[in-house]
Amino acid sequence: MSSLFNMDKWSRLFADPEIIKGFFEGMKLTIIVSVCGLMLALVLGIIFGVMSVSKSKVLRGIARVYVEFFQNTPLVLQTFFYYYSLPAIRRTLFHMSVKEARLPANVYGIMGVGIYHGAYISEVIRAGIEAVPKGQLEAAYSQGFTTIQAMRYIILPQTLKMIFPPLTNQALNLVKNSSVLALIGGFDLMYKSNSYVCATSNICGYFLCAMMYFIICFPLARLTKYLEVRAQRNPVVKTAKKAEVV
Amino acid sequence: MIKINNLNKYFGELHVLKDINLQVKSGEKLVIIGPSGSGKSTLIRCINYLEEPTSGEIFIDNIKMTKKNKIEMARKYSSMVFQQFNLYPNMTVLGNLMLAPTKLQKVPKEEARKTAMEALKRVGLEAKADQYPQNLSGGQQQRVAIARALCTKQPIILFDEPTSALDPEMVQEVLDVMIELSKENITMICVTHEMGFAREVADRVIFMDDGQIIEEGTPEHFFVNPENERTKAFLSKIIR
Amino acid sequence: MKKKILSVMLVACMAAVSLAGCASGSKEAETTKAETTAAETTAAETTASVAETTAAVAGAYDLSTEDIQNIIKRGKLEVGCKADVLKFGYQDTATGKYEGLEIDISYAIAGAIFGCTMEEAKAKDLCNFTAVTAATRGELLDNGTIDIVAATFTIKPDRLELWNFSTPYFTDHVGFLVKKDAGYKSAADLDGCIIGVASGSSTQKAIESYLAENNIAAKVTFQEFDTYPLISAALSTGNVDCFSVDRSILAAYNDDTTEILPDEFGPQDYGIATKKGNDGLTALVDQVVNEMISDGTMDSLLKSWGIE
Repeated sequence: MSSLFNMDKWSRLFADPEIIKGFFEGMKLTIIVSVCGLMLALVLGIIFGVMSVSKSKVLRGIARVYVEFFQNTPLVLQTFFYYYSLPAIRRTLFHMSVKEARLPANVYGIMGVGIYHGAYISEVIRAGIEAVPKGQLEAAYSQGFTTIQAMRYIILPQTLKMIFPPLTNQALNLVKNSSVLALIGGFDLMYKSNSYVCATSNICGYFLCAMMYFIICFPLARLTKYLEVRAQRNPVVKTAKKAEVV
Repeated sequence: MIKINNLNKYFGELHVLKDINLQVKSGEKLVIIGPSGSGKSTLIRCINYLEEPTSGEIFIDNIKMTKKNKIEMARKYSSMVFQQFNLYPNMTVLGNLMLAPTKLQKVPKEEARKTAMEALKRVGLEAKADQYPQNLSGGQQQRVAIARALCTKQPIILFDEPTSALDPEMVQEVLDVMIELSKENITMICVTHEMGFAREVADRVIFMDDGQIIEEGTPEHFFVNPENERTKAFLSKIIR
Repeated sequence: MKKKILSVMLVACMAAVSLAGCASGSKEAETTKAETTAAETTAAETTASVAETTAAVAGAYDLSTEDIQNIIKRGKLEVGCKADVLKFGYQDTATGKYEGLEIDISYAIAGAIFGCTMEEAKAKDLCNFTAVTAATRGELLDNGTIDIVAATFTIKPDRLELWNFSTPYFTDHVGFLVKKDAGYKSAADLDGCIIGVASGSSTQKAIESYLAENNIAAKVTFQEFDTYPLISAALSTGNVDCFSVDRSILAAYNDDTTEILPDEFGPQDYGIATKKGNDGLTALVDQVVNEMISDGTMDSLLKSWGIE
């Protein structure tokens, strides 16, 4: 800890604009990987989440296997698996050379966090749909709505409000977990700071890294909190005054 | 209007409806009574296919209901009022009433609003149009649910124990609305324990027990001179 | 809400002020330290001649300084070493014991401090080893968790500004490990290749200057990994084309599917690092290393560990 209060170490960290630039490049990549990873996770989450409330036993089973497998194995292991096996698979399937078969590290990172968090988001969505009382769907049917119309107009708007807080929570964890990239030479924020600290033994680099992750994650945490409060509140009357007059 | 032939319904091993045969005339007010678990709710849920019959046929307006046309049939012929109201909590009262007409029947918004306000007026709740359902009392919510059923203008309204979930002091306001409604040419099928209501409104009463129709007749017949022992036992428990 | 933010900011401001206070104090200390460092660096350059004189009085060590007295009081020398580099610093996973050249040197230093031979120090278990990485070694040394770093630590000008180093006990060179079937014959063939290097190592700089000095046009990119096994795995799965580190370390990862290219460059002088300010310990470590070199102990140790 002593180094954190050593101004000399701090000034060495900030003295070289190239180093700071490197940190910001890492931060940029972390954000890109997080956004793309979140997209992938949302797509997978919606597909498998809806599958896990479907009537088909087969679809439910597939969704179950996906969720259980990816929730119960470490993210690092999953990412290593893609990193080590995909080039070989591509070489065999597409008869590529070693260099052609290689994918940029951030692709593995996006896959890693996307597929891993997709499993969690799938559960969030399943829980959200199941939390809407069955009577809502019955009321919709009795009025003549088809299942898709009922989902669109009645069930999903209610689901969304409920799942937003856990969803932003997932996004937050996803940002932090994208640091798995550092292990496979991914040039993200964690990699850049690790590279700096290893080269200079100046652990202030890790502290700067922590602050940069904090800058990304803290707003997400606040948003989660805000959405949680909002989800618990009843909707307010939009035109309260008008209602009184009438 | 409605014709039910040899309707059977199983929940797994459980035989909840046993060979039901029933006809309901257009504009008829039918009340179904019976102990819980007798299958009366399942019967009316079969009429709009919320439950799929295991065997047997249901005709509405001489059209056979199938799994395929169930949505069409519900849209055209019947709406339902539930025990738990089942209003959409994410919309205002007006939104609840206008959703199906605007999205399904493609009624212009202004017209749908006019219809909705008229329906609210009939249930005495036009002042609550912009409130959310959660902010209303149970009785008010159920009256909104009835107004919602009116807005889609189907000829049949199915009532599934509409007052069972209400606090006692709110029962009457809902019944009053239903009594008002009974003066119109709407086919009403109502599962209820409210004998006073049955007496005032019903053209015919059906007593169900153990998945079968045990006895049917006019309200007078039931309350003055029931024949079946089980009917007598049931009535003696609910009429004091 | 606003009040909360305000209070947080206030606390942050106070922390910053107190930080600045500490800093001005320590800065003065740093300046004086920097001066002594400069003196020491010149001293280090002349160690060869100094070593000869001290060799005459081998076995006589100045143990009076506070840093060494602290170690004597504690009863053990705290050593940061490698745990995964065969022949240098390697932990036997079955017994938990560390072994290798740098482990032996550490025991020799412990022997000098506690007044016994290397063998006796080993028998009495006078060293406590902590496995270090590029990320941890400097910090553990600075915060006093370990007294010395003996972990294939290359002496470089920028590192000399941060720590004291002994006379080099071994000089290695950087090399390239590639897959046999890739068909690379020398560095010139590595154009467009990704080279896996260890985080915090001086390998990348050594390669860049080697290519520049020899006018080799190959354009290469670098990827850092935290451990050697990770680079080795990346090489075997085709995620990098080349694994580059000091040749003696590479040898441990060379198998029948790989080969080490003939290029040998960027001399890496390994030294024992000590914390700036621990001048007594620094002098003692340097004396021990110099004696081991001059009396042939180092050569026989290198031979017995099979290091060329």
